[in-house]
Amino acid sequence: MKRTIKYIAGAALVAVLVGAMACGQEEPPAPVAPAQTEPTAMAAPTEAMAMEATAEPTAMMQESTSMSNQGDSRLDAVRARDEVICASRNDVPGYGFLDASGNNVGFDIDLCRALAAAVLGDPSKIQIRLISAAERGPTIQSGEVDMLVRTVTWTTSRDAQWGNYAQTMFYDGQGFMVNQSLGISSALELQGASVCVTQGTTTELNLADFSAQNGLNIEALTFEDTAAVVAAYESGQCDAFTNDRSQLAALGTSLANRADHVILPETISEEPLGPVVPHGDDQWFDIVKSVMAVLIYGEAYGVNSGSIPSAATGDTKVDRLLGFEGSWGQESLGLSDTAAQDVIRAVGNYGEIYDRNLGPSGINLPREGGRNALWADASCQDCPKGGQIYAAPLR
Amino acid sequence: MLNTNTTLPRALTYQGIPIWRHAQVIQWTAQIASGFLVVFLVAWFFFNIANAIEDREIPYGFSFLERAYQTPIGQHFLPYETSDTFLYAFGVAAVNTIVVSIVGVILATALGIFVGVARLSGNWLVAKLALGYIEFFRNVPLLIQLYFWFYIVLALPPVREGYVIADLVYVNNAGISIPFPFSDGLAAALVWLAAALAGVVGGKALHQRLTEREIDTGQASYPLVWGVTVAVVVGALAWLLISFVGGGAPLVVSEPAPQGTFGRISGGFTMSGGLLALLIGLVMYTSSFIAEIVRAGIQSVNRGQIEAARALGLSPMGTLRQVTFPQALRVIIPPLISQFLNLTKNSSLAGAIGFADLTNVAKTMTQTAPAISIFILIMAAYLAMSLTYSLIGNLYNRRLRIASR
Repeated sequence: MKRTIKYIAGAALVAVLVGAMACGQEEPPAPVAPAQTEPTAMAAPTEAMAMEATAEPTAMMQESTSMSNQGDSRLDAVRARDEVICASRNDVPGYGFLDASGNNVGFDIDLCRALAAAVLGDPSKIQIRLISAAERGPTIQSGEVDMLVRTVTWTTSRDAQWGNYAQTMFYDGQGFMVNQSLGISSALELQGASVCVTQGTTTELNLADFSAQNGLNIEALTFEDTAAVVAAYESGQCDAFTNDRSQLAALGTSLANRADHVILPETISEEPLGPVVPHGDDQWFDIVKSVMAVLIYGEAYGVNSGSIPSAATGDTKVDRLLGFEGSWGQESLGLSDTAAQDVIRAVGNYGEIYDRNLGPSGINLPREGGRNALWADASCQDCPKGGQIYAAPLR
Repeated sequence: MLNTNTTLPRALTYQGIPIWRHAQVIQWTAQIASGFLVVFLVAWFFFNIANAIEDREIPYGFSFLERAYQTPIGQHFLPYETSDTFLYAFGVAAVNTIVVSIVGVILATALGIFVGVARLSGNWLVAKLALGYIEFFRNVPLLIQLYFWFYIVLALPPVREGYVIADLVYVNNAGISIPFPFSDGLAAALVWLAAALAGVVGGKALHQRLTEREIDTGQASYPLVWGVTVAVVVGALAWLLISFVGGGAPLVVSEPAPQGTFGRISGGFTMSGGLLALLIGLVMYTSSFIAEIVRAGIQSVNRGQIEAARALGLSPMGTLRQVTFPQALRVIIPPLISQFLNLTKNSSLAGAIGFADLTNVAKTMTQTAPAISIFILIMAAYLAMSLTYSLIGNLYNRRLRIASR
């Protein structure tokens, strides 16, 4: 009896060992295989990338050589998967939320859809990974998602540690919400208050700075989920609730008696929000930056989802954007010439995305005259609209 | 020539069982194979991490531990300022978890034994109530239970409208505040505590000695009265002496009171709402498992033991305390230790309900420090805690074992 067990155990061990060895050996060549069949399909981009890869001296560890060749470019991986994976959220109206029929909607979700439209030609080929605020860093560091769009504030240490920030798509700032019955009118009056905050956010860090700078001795009550933060605030477990101002406005809509709560006038921080891509793939980084630029210039040039011309218009800028004439770098990025058409047709331009989610059809944050207006219209470069939404010119 | 001819064949021809069925050969092959497997897996994990770190420029290292953490921690049992280092903040958070685990283990054990005994009660209602308790709390996921208690706590009135009992105890959804001993000079308090402890130990020794003498000689001497008197007198004398020498009482009672515009309670000891919900949740959940362990332990004791105890005239309670339970302990202790470990590890869910336990604080740290290093530290800390608890439990278990002759 005992001996039989020993035989079986020995056999199992050997089998596992052989299996693991086999996996270990088979794994590296696997990603190369699709890359070898790819060139016939899209000769130009992969060739360009192959040249890049050979030019670059690969002095990495032996095991990682397979990682550095073109077979592992994220663009190829996304195309092979036929899906863009974005880390986002579904708990804040306007940014990432579920609509009545259970679809992910919101400003952040639309940015992910725009990327899918540019790369795969279909905005619905996305997978949304729901993560908590504190999970954002590890998630994007691990490279398991293609893009992180979850109201992520751009900071220098995050840029150094997490991934590459592509573009600021929304300018926000941190504020406080309190119950009107407290009768306070300034955040500087929060002496000795208990403040609810979501874990793993810049908000949490800014709160500490604000408290220390002004000697307020604020007690922070930290929760993993924004839902728990709102519940604790609403029940009065904490006196104030801090978050980005736009999110305060968005979350305020879910409070039972919205009129009882006020957002204090102080803005205590800069919160530029935008998509983040994993470190280590410059081409993918450039693609995301360009897609964001397409959205912004789509609005500046007055191209919206309902008015995409089917042939050259004669307006050089519009024709270049839509791929009728010239180029804004599509070949080097590995995108189709008409990628911008796919993007704008699928999700609209920046203004449409804003209006749908954050503007009149969404949580109704004012835009005109604020920082989130465009810097300038195409029609009149010299008469700025005063906003800060701006991207690298498309050419 | 002849000699070598006769010895050679004996040495060359192997006459034992076939090599592939030889126990030692099989054992060694298995050992070597599993050894290779372990080395291979460890190396594979290591290189995978190393590659990922290199490819994606993931930061790592432990130099951040000396930096100031600069972030507040909710409730904490050690003194903490935002200017303290990451390492110290990590320690503060670890102490939070240790306190929760120790208090939780004590309460869960007490409640678990009570419910486990009730489960075997002859009273039908009591037994069924205990059964219902066990099955409910054992079968609902802990995180759900924690949210349940969290919302129960939130349903209490907010701090400015909370219940106040005799101006001393404050109950509201921010927590429960009670008067608590507090010391200005830590040294004086420690000296007094040491003296009081010595008094208690001395009193206990005297009690034991007098009891032994009473058993030996039959001479009545009130051991309990003398023991307590010695402990109290030593403590009181030390108190007076320290007050006289140090110019103040070693410990004063700090009373909670509302402070400032927001009426937050300061002073005394406040058990925050998060901690309250966490402890209730952990204790209820773990006690349901402990109750089953206790029941199984008691039922494992031979019925003859109970019948013999009853035949000797011991009461049902006496039977349980003197006969059944001591024997049941041998069966109870090993699974009980693993429940203690479970409770400690389960406390890492605290972040969901806003208590600053080790995991909650460490996850916040990943914002400004390398996540890989932080998670290595978290694992090491829980491992150290669990191994320590196991060690203590196993030492106790060894003492309980039946001495083998």
